[in-house]
Amino acid sequence: MAKGKVYPSAEQALADIFDGAVVLVGGFAGQGVPEALLEALSRQAVKDLTCICSPAMPRGRQSSGFDVARLVASGRVSKVITPLLEYPGANSVLEQQRRAGQLTVEVVPQGVLAERLRAGGAGLGGVFLPNGAGTRFEEGKETREFDGQRAVLELPIRADFALVRAQTADLFGNLIYQGDARNWGPVMAMAAAITIAQVDRVVEPGGLDPERVITPGIFVHRIIAAGGATGGR
Amino acid sequence: MPPAQRLSDDQIARRVARELSPGQVVALGFGLPGLVPGVLPERTGVFCLSESGALGYVNAGQTVKLRPGGTPLGLAEAVAMLRGGRVDCAVVQPAQVNAAGDFSHWTTAATTGVFAPGAGLDLAAGPKRVIAMLRHTAEDGSPNIVPELTFPVDGINALHLIITDIAVLSVIPRGLELMEVAPGWRADDVSALTGVPLRRNPDMGEMTFDMEPSRFPSKVFSEARDALHDLSDGATVMIDGFAGPGGMPHCLLVALRDHGARDLTMISNTAGIARITNFGTPPGKLAIDHSILIDSKQIKKAIASYPVSPSASRPSAFELAYRRGEVELELVPQGTLAERLRAGGAGVAAFYTPTGAGTLIAQGKETRVFNGKEYVLEKGLRADFCLIRGHKADTMGNVIYKGTSRNFNSVMAPAARVTVVEVDEVVEPGMLDSEQIVTPGVYISRIVVRPPGFSPYE
Repeated sequence: MAKGKVYPSAEQALADIFDGAVVLVGGFAGQGVPEALLEALSRQAVKDLTCICSPAMPRGRQSSGFDVARLVASGRVSKVITPLLEYPGANSVLEQQRRAGQLTVEVVPQGVLAERLRAGGAGLGGVFLPNGAGTRFEEGKETREFDGQRAVLELPIRADFALVRAQTADLFGNLIYQGDARNWGPVMAMAAAITIAQVDRVVEPGGLDPERVITPGIFVHRIIAAGGATGGR
Repeated sequence: MPPAQRLSDDQIARRVARELSPGQVVALGFGLPGLVPGVLPERTGVFCLSESGALGYVNAGQTVKLRPGGTPLGLAEAVAMLRGGRVDCAVVQPAQVNAAGDFSHWTTAATTGVFAPGAGLDLAAGPKRVIAMLRHTAEDGSPNIVPELTFPVDGINALHLIITDIAVLSVIPRGLELMEVAPGWRADDVSALTGVPLRRNPDMGEMTFDMEPSRFPSKVFSEARDALHDLSDGATVMIDGFAGPGGMPHCLLVALRDHGARDLTMISNTAGIARITNFGTPPGKLAIDHSILIDSKQIKKAIASYPVSPSASRPSAFELAYRRGEVELELVPQGTLAERLRAGGAGVAAFYTPTGAGTLIAQGKETRVFNGKEYVLEKGLRADFCLIRGHKADTMGNVIYKGTSRNFNSVMAPAARVTVVEVDEVVEPGMLDSEQIVTPGVYISRIVVRPPGFSPYE
């Protein structure tokens, strides 16, 4: 079983995931994708997951690794919350399932999604944002002017699980990332009840340069060590 | 037959690059804008921000590579930069634009699915200037510049300039003005492929593709006082520090005292602690902190979370001045101060926080219950100047800190119009570990090197 926060396998780290769980999935344009966790999740006996994630990649740029599209293809997911379902022309399984009525899609603009996750992680009750003011994204929401600028009240997002990808963890769960693999990792790690980090390697406490730690270990509950193509270069 | 060759994607990117100048931050959407970093000359001093949060990057095949002085950001930091007004220019590839400068971002005729903007809204709303970079017509030959958008709008009156494979158009109050045509093209040829009428600028010329040679403006000031030369009476000034001498810009504090600006509003965690001898200080010496500005009667008001001395029998200069009625005080809990600063820097107008609900702090403020918990509405804080202390900076202004001296520095830096950092050492771009950079150079206007051996006591 787990030694502290370190689990021997992705399956064991995901053992208590449940039907209908809301899952944050890190990664952007193929970088920083928690591939081993997604692959293990696709084999778990769960259904009706809600995934909050970045879009599916366009044709020709799909990662060779396991991504959200392949998780959706496994039939575990019934809803996706995303700034963009897929890049134009991708014709991904997400769009196919949506057309077939198998997948519900909720669109949240990228900046709003990032800030709602941050608000969830930081314990705020709501934030007034200029993003989307005057567009279809303010419909049904409270708006207010601050110093002459229109702002929309957006509510925090918290999830049951966050699956993130980092380069290295220490046993306390402190994480360092590499390059643009950082993307959603830090903000998603803050915003879930259980955050599981897939890392290339795990070191003893003190083995990371503290000035490089981006996600403090208090936000990370479980760690699995699994190499792969997109944890960072 | 078309009148002449259309421009290649690379040529369009090079024409877009001519709109950028050193020191600017340009945010780039997915698609054609991704070509822009690759056509910028090395050391051009333009910070390119990707949709995924890489700052100072160039595309390298399927991935991005950081240039010297670049730094990776998380998405929350990247969107804060966009929304906080720190991005000078955004370049997007809309599916459709109209004469009012509205655009529809990702939706295409091929996509019958959900109308989703990706980062389009962020790119439309935050930056000072937005450039559309697109092909003048769709694959079926129909204009991409249309009288009315048929797809949902992502940016309203957002565009300033439209650069296509045959022309450059400026968005003016009365519509679109033809500024430049591609080599070999005439104004009438462009108009024929445009879905809205074009005004022709009297000085209309031919598009060119070379960037003007330019140098990145130095942010390094040799004298602290020069870095504060334009700080005026009545200014709002953020000054870092937690308690004790760590992480405090002592040189800049002394320079501000020497400068003499008055009626200042000071935003800080403490308002200076007791300035007395033998209080953790070397014999016969006084600590340099915010108190020196109280003593010099430059402060009109403090916005602070800890404006008193830790020792009741040894009151701080601010406490004494407050009791004499010489200064005003806005008391802000420490966590709320940090969050208000973060909101100010990140373009968040206001937020509901549980801190202070049911206490004196909530008096006179809106409160609201979400999911059975009470929250207080607090607004973002911004300042004219911000004085912070870093460990090292590169000449582009990227800053790394040392240990706990980071404290309020990193959250204050983005929240002011002019942020001045005092560091131990300045190095060339690329000499700092990019993963260790906490404050991107985008937020730093001026750098002052603390003289070797400078004492935080006087």
